[in-house]
Formats: sequence, C-alpha cells, structure tokens
Amino acid sequence: MPHIRLENITMRFGDITAVSDIDLEIRDGEYVTILGPSGCGKTTLIKIVAGILRPTDGKIFVDGKDVTKVPLEDRDTGYVFQNIALFPHMTIRGNAEYGPKVHSVEEGQAESTADEYLRLVDMLDKAGHFPKELSGGDQQKAALARALASGSRMLMLDEPLSALDARVRMELRYEIRRIVKRLGITVLHVTHDQEEAMSVSDRIILMRKGRIFETGTPLDMYRSPKSIFAAYFIGETNLMECTVESKRKGGGVILRLRNDVPVNVSKSKANVGEIAILSVRPEHVYTATDGLKAHVRDVVFMGTYWRVRTEAESQDYVDYNIPADSQVPEIGEEVYLVFNKKASRVFKRPKEGLTEAIKLE
Amino acid sequence: MSLIDRVDDASSKRGVKRAWLILVVLIFLVLIILPSVYVLFEAVSQWDLISGVASDSGKMAVIWGAVGNSFSIAFIVTIIDVIVGIPMAWLMVRKNFPGKRYVDTLIDMPLAFPTAALGFSVAIFWGVPQGLDVPGLGIVLSPYVLVILLHLIFTYPYMVRTLSGILEQLDPNFETAGMTLGASRFTAVRTITLPLFRAGLVTGFILCFARSLSETGGTYIALSLIGKQSTFFTGPTFISELKHQAGSQAAMPELILISVLLIVFALLMLFVAKMMMDKVKIPWSKVWPKFERRISRGLAVKMRNGLSSLFLALFIIIPSFFIFSFLLIDGPLPDMAGLFKAMGISFLVAGAATAFDIVFGIPMALYIARNKDKSLGKALDMLVNVPLIIPTTALGLSLFLFWSSASLPGLVLVILGHISFTYPLVVRNVIGAVEEVDPSYEEIAKTLGAKPFQAFRKVLLPVIQSSVLAGSILAFTRSLGETGATIAIDPTINTVPIYIVNLINKFTEFNNPDYAYQAAVASITLTAVCFVLMLAVKYATRRKLGGLRHD
Repeated sequence: MPHIRLENITMRFGDITAVSDIDLEIRDGEYVTILGPSGCGKTTLIKIVAGILRPTDGKIFVDGKDVTKVPLEDRDTGYVFQNIALFPHMTIRGNAEYGPKVHSVEEGQAESTADEYLRLVDMLDKAGHFPKELSGGDQQKAALARALASGSRMLMLDEPLSALDARVRMELRYEIRRIVKRLGITVLHVTHDQEEAMSVSDRIILMRKGRIFETGTPLDMYRSPKSIFAAYFIGETNLMECTVESKRKGGGVILRLRNDVPVNVSKSKANVGEIAILSVRPEHVYTATDGLKAHVRDVVFMGTYWRVRTEAESQDYVDYNIPADSQVPEIGEEVYLVFNKKASRVFKRPKEGLTEAIKLE
Repeated sequence: MSLIDRVDDASSKRGVKRAWLILVVLIFLVLIILPSVYVLFEAVSQWDLISGVASDSGKMAVIWGAVGNSFSIAFIVTIIDVIVGIPMAWLMVRKNFPGKRYVDTLIDMPLAFPTAALGFSVAIFWGVPQGLDVPGLGIVLSPYVLVILLHLIFTYPYMVRTLSGILEQLDPNFETAGMTLGASRFTAVRTITLPLFRAGLVTGFILCFARSLSETGGTYIALSLIGKQSTFFTGPTFISELKHQAGSQAAMPELILISVLLIVFALLMLFVAKMMMDKVKIPWSKVWPKFERRISRGLAVKMRNGLSSLFLALFIIIPSFFIFSFLLIDGPLPDMAGLFKAMGISFLVAGAATAFDIVFGIPMALYIARNKDKSLGKALDMLVNVPLIIPTTALGLSLFLFWSSASLPGLVLVILGHISFTYPLVVRNVIGAVEEVDPSYEEIAKTLGAKPFQAFRKVLLPVIQSSVLAGSILAFTRSLGETGATIAIDPTINTVPIYIVNLINKFTEFNNPDYAYQAAVASITLTAVCFVLMLAVKYATRRKLGGLRHD
C-alpha cells in the first residue's frame, strides 16, 4: 500500500522558484492536507507528486520505488481537479468507465467497476446524465468516482471543493473523508481553507512561499502553533507586541504590553527582557471586572456568536467572542479583558517584523 | 452640440435604434447577399439559353470537368490540411520549444502573400519552368497535383490557426485528467481532445474548402506557367478564361451555368458541414492501450514533430518564398508607372471596401453577437457566411449580372464585389471579440448614465478595437490579393493581380521570359506591401492578447 516520500523536491519555472527543498513523508492510508495561502506552491507540489509536472530537482518515492521519471499515465494516481474537468462529451458512467477502459479492462468489467464506485459516491442513479446536467457537488462526486475507478490507491485532491456552494462544500468534505478512509486510500488534499483542512485531515502541512512552514495534527497546529504565521493562518488570533518582564520558576510569566500594561501567561518562548509577540485567540479572551482596559469599537454578529472588537489601552485591537443570545456591549463602552493563561502563546519577535511574518504572499 | 453628442442622444431613442438596425440589415441584404446569389435567379430566367448549353455534351464535359476539379482539389487539400494541421496546432499550443515565436510567424506568412505571387512561386519551384532559367526542382507534375500543392499553401495557415484557436480555449485539464486515469497521450487526445474540438475542425474545414474553391489568380498563373491554362481548368479559372475570350461585357450561358453549379455545390457543402458538426460521431470510445501507448512516446513523437516541421518547410514555406530568387537575377523592370497606377487602384478598391466593412460590419456584428438566441440573429449569423463560402469568381459574375441594368462604372462594381467577400471577415472577427466581452461592462456604463452609443464608443470599442483592426487588415490584404472577382466583374479594372495576370498572359502568348520576370517583380512588390500589413495584424493581435490575458 502506498507510502509516499519526497526528497528535496524543487520546482522552478524560469526564474521563479515555485517550491524549494521539500522533504515529506506520507504514511499509507494517511489523509494529509497541504494548506497555505494562494501562490504558496501547494498546487505545484501535488502536481509533482501526481506526475503532471516533473520536478526540476529531487525525487519522489512510492513504496520505496523511485517514480520521479515514471510518466503520468503509469503513475496510478487519482487526481480530482478544482474545476472538476469531467469529460463533457461523455455521460457520468462514460467518465467513470474511462480509467478501466484505458487499462485494457474488458467492456462489461469496466462498466461494473464504474458502477461500483458510482454507487459508493451515491451517484449511480445519475450515471446516464451528462456532466452539464448535474449540480457542481454531484459533478465533483462523479469526478471522485472517476478517479477511484481507475484503480489508484493514492488520491490527489486539488482544491476539490472551492468551486462549490458553502453548504455543499461542508457536506462533501466529510463524505470524501468517509469514502477514502473506508477504502484505505492515501490522500493528499490541497486547500487554502483552514477550516476545511482542520476538519478532514489526519495531518496538516502548512506551506508558505514554496516551503513547508510547519506540520502537525490539526489539534496541535491549533493549540500549540510553532510559529506566528501558523497561529495567524490556522484559526484566528489577536497578536500583541510585548516585552518579557520576568519568569517564575514554577511556571508563570509576566509580560508588559505597550504602555506598561501587565499580563500574566503560563509560558514563553522568548527570554526575560526580550521583545516578544503575544498571541491569544478570540475564544480565549474573556471580560472581567478587572484586567486589560479596553473600549468597544465594533460589534458584529457572526451567525452563531458575536464578535466584539475593542481597542485596548495597550493600543492593540483585541477581539473576543460572546454567545449569540447574550447581552451585547455598546460601542464606546469600557470593558476589562483577561486572557486564558494556558492558551496564550508568546513567540519571539520575528526578525523580519510582525507584518512581514504574517503576510500571506 | 457636436455631431457625436447628437448621435449619442439619438442613440437612446427606440425609433432611431430600430431605424439604424433596419438600415444595416437592408444594406447587408441588398448590397451583399442578393448580388452574391443573383445568378441563381438569372439562371432561371435565362433557362432557355442555359438548357442549350446543358444539352451540348462537349461543353458540359468541360464544365463538369472544371467543377469536378475544383471540388475534388478543395476536398483533397482540406483533408491533407486536417492531417498535417492537427499535430502542428497541438505542437504550437501545448509545447514549448526554442524559436516557437518565429515558427508561429512563419505559419502565418502565406496569408501575407497575394495568391497571384504564390501561384508564380509554386509553379517555378515545383514545375518545369518554361523559358525561365531558374533552378527549381524541375519535376514534371500533372496540373492537378500542382494546383493541390499551391492550394495547400494558403489553406494550411487557416487550418492551423483555427485548430490552435480552439485548442487554446480547451481546458488542458481534460487531457491531463485522462492521463491521470491511465490513458496514454495519444489515447487522451483522440478520445477527449478531438471530440471536444470537432466544431473547430468543421470551421477549419469550411474555411479551407471555401478558400481553395474560390482561388483564381494563383491557380491561373501557375497553370499558365506550365502551359496548361487552356487545357486544364478549375471552376474559377474556367470562368476567367471565358471572360478573357469574351471581353468585359459578356455573360454567356456557360458562365452562368458554371457559376450556378459552383454556388449551389458550395452552399450544399456548407450545409452538410454544419450538419456534420451536430450529427456525425467519430467512434472514439474504443481504445487500444498498448498500441496507442507505443505511438505516444519516444521515437514516434519525435518523428511526428519532425514530419510536421518538415511539411511546413518543404511544402509551405520554401515554395512560397521561392519567388524571391528572382531578386538574384537581372531582368527588365516592369513599366513602373503602370505598376504604381495599378497599386493605386488596388489600394483604392481595398480601402473603400474595408471602410464600408467597418462602418456597416461592426453594427451587424454587435447585433449578431448580442442576439444569437433570436431568430433574426441566428439567420443573419448564417447569412454572413454565405459570401465567404461562394467562390469569388462566381460571386463576381453574379454581382455583375445583378447590377448590369444599372450601368454603374466598373470601378464601383469592383468595389462592391470586394465588399461582398471581405465583409464577412470583419464581421466574423468582431463577433468573436464581442462574444468574449462581458455584456455587463456596457450595462454598467448605462447604469452610470451613458447613452447606448456612448457606452459603445467609450467602453466596448476600446476593448474590441484590436479585433476590429485585425479584421480590417485581413479584409484589406484579402482585397489586395483578389483576382477572380475582379476578372469576373470587369477585367479592365487594372488592380495589381490583374496587372500580373496580364503580364503572364503576354508571356504565354509571346513566349517571352521578360514578361514573366516583370510579373515576378510586380508579385514581389505586392507581397512586400502585404507583408507590412500582415506584421501590423500580428502586432495588433499580440497587443490584444497581452491586454486580456496574464500568464
């Protein structure tokens, strides 16, 4: 069963380096998501793994075998495209049969294989339709069946859901995960949607500017991101500049925000006296009778909760959430904010500056 | 209040809009379509005379022979174009190789050559030159094969351009998807890409077929140079030969009959091709994985690319440019004053025709592009193609008959004739461009308070202007190079192609190579002019691509 390993993969288009020096291992049956802002090289990377692009440098191994030079059609890698790319002149069944047919499978056998996978994605009753007669979600399900019916044990999903409606997107992502897990297929899924990545993957690979920035399980990436960029890109967070005033032996760190406002947190990666960045997610900010003084600047209803934006006395904007059915503060009202100590993260101040460190491109 | 302001204001009135539309459609019908097919009515009214010809088996044998030659040559040429055009188009769109830009320009080159010059060049390259001391390959060819070799040259660019245009618009993901499913490149192209660009194939087929069917000057010159012009005919050369014998005012029943045959078969052909586009299915679902895999790789691919390039060089480019070898030898220059006068007439005709095409073609194109779902839009869309598919010689004769009672000067008639076959070029180009422009741009301009004509001038026109320019230059060069229509309407209107044909006629009459040399110099001059204009097209279209796409 497929186990994918990338060694020093680099891809250059002329003067532009799209991905550089990627080393990566994907275990058999693992569902891995490559997450990153547009232009980070994530699509280039899975096109290389699939064999659509040949890397400028580096090697790809599948089950220990070097497949770097194996042509696309012999890779046996299913690929699902963002723009779906079902063959418009064939029916859904014709599309699903295509893989078995070009693998010299007999006519009748090809049809039954196609039907088996169409049933799996619940599209058998629409097998006689042409792609343009179906909704986007159904088309993408058919495309998934087509990729699986060719017999591949590895599946590349290239932003498969981004062209679909929000509701369909949500349903389909769990559906895809359920199916591939049942079949035990190794999946590499590319997306720029962090929520999608969090909810379907065994492991997330965060890419930025053509490099792997950080990897980890969704929970690890959310709870203890190793970089400011990860904290900022996965989930939401408030970032505040501070200095580390003191560290106590038993744990517990005192920080000073701007204007000398003190804040307590559990631990810090920065040393005493250093300038650092405090990261606190809005869901870890609470109001209290005492704490960081702030004024409410804006209140937005997010559908299931309220997002309150405040301007703190440390001159930072700090956001927090309150439940949909609770009392909403007035604009201009004075509130006191406290942070969940354990959930707060303190990073060393990046050399390139905060703005540059969280820039998406 | 300036004139343009007045037009702006007037353009928002319903009545004015409707009147303008009616005017444009009427002009199209009365000045372009009706004269183009008038010969069909004339044939009915002069049936007594024509049936006289039809019962003369000797004359009919020649007529059927000429018509048969025209259609079979056009068919063979087009089939060859498809076979060599597909790999070339694929190479140009999907592959990157050093020097691709130059190959791209080379493919367009034959479009810049007036066919009269091409006919000359091809005949001396492939044929045994009579009385010309130019080192060609010197193979003795049958006139039939020579005409095929000639027609390949100016139809090939149409095929490659049409196919690569469609190929560029096709999402390459379809082919890639096929390959990720395990199909070899050849299988993927045959089962996925080809069926998807069937429409483009049919368009290319129609364009090439019509162009080959129509061509007169080059064919006539090539046949003259190998001394076969009075024994071997295509439909158009037969018409021009008869016209020559009979003088400018004649319209003998043979002429009417052969024109009718050409027009009817050409329209039938258009109809069948359109049917094919929807009905006929290629059996693409069967695959032979092993065999197709073998020809998708390595040597087979190299051979295919090599053969495509070799074909381009040996059958298209070198024969086209061979005429320039005349620059290496000395000979008597033609009567330059006469040549420049002819050039003046050519420019006058081409300029007047193009100006007319722009003024009345753009509104027509706008209407068609925006009203494809209405029955009038559909009908006009079909009708615009008619002058494109009718052989220009037959069209010229028809137009000549239509206006014969009005006793207009010959020059005006020639201009009207040139309008007929250049009008579709401008309209087609503009329709293509307008269809790509989101109509919401104009709607936005109108919500901001722009009058319809203002919205057109300030929003739509700047976006489509390069296509207008490209269409205009295409029309202009096509008019400059046209021989058949001019001969059929009035052979005394001395445009450059007529001037060249006359020199060739003198050459065959007196067997004096000086005339051939002069014809060559005139051809080279006309070619040079067309080249400059063609480069302008290139420039205009490249800017267009740069403006709309970013990659």
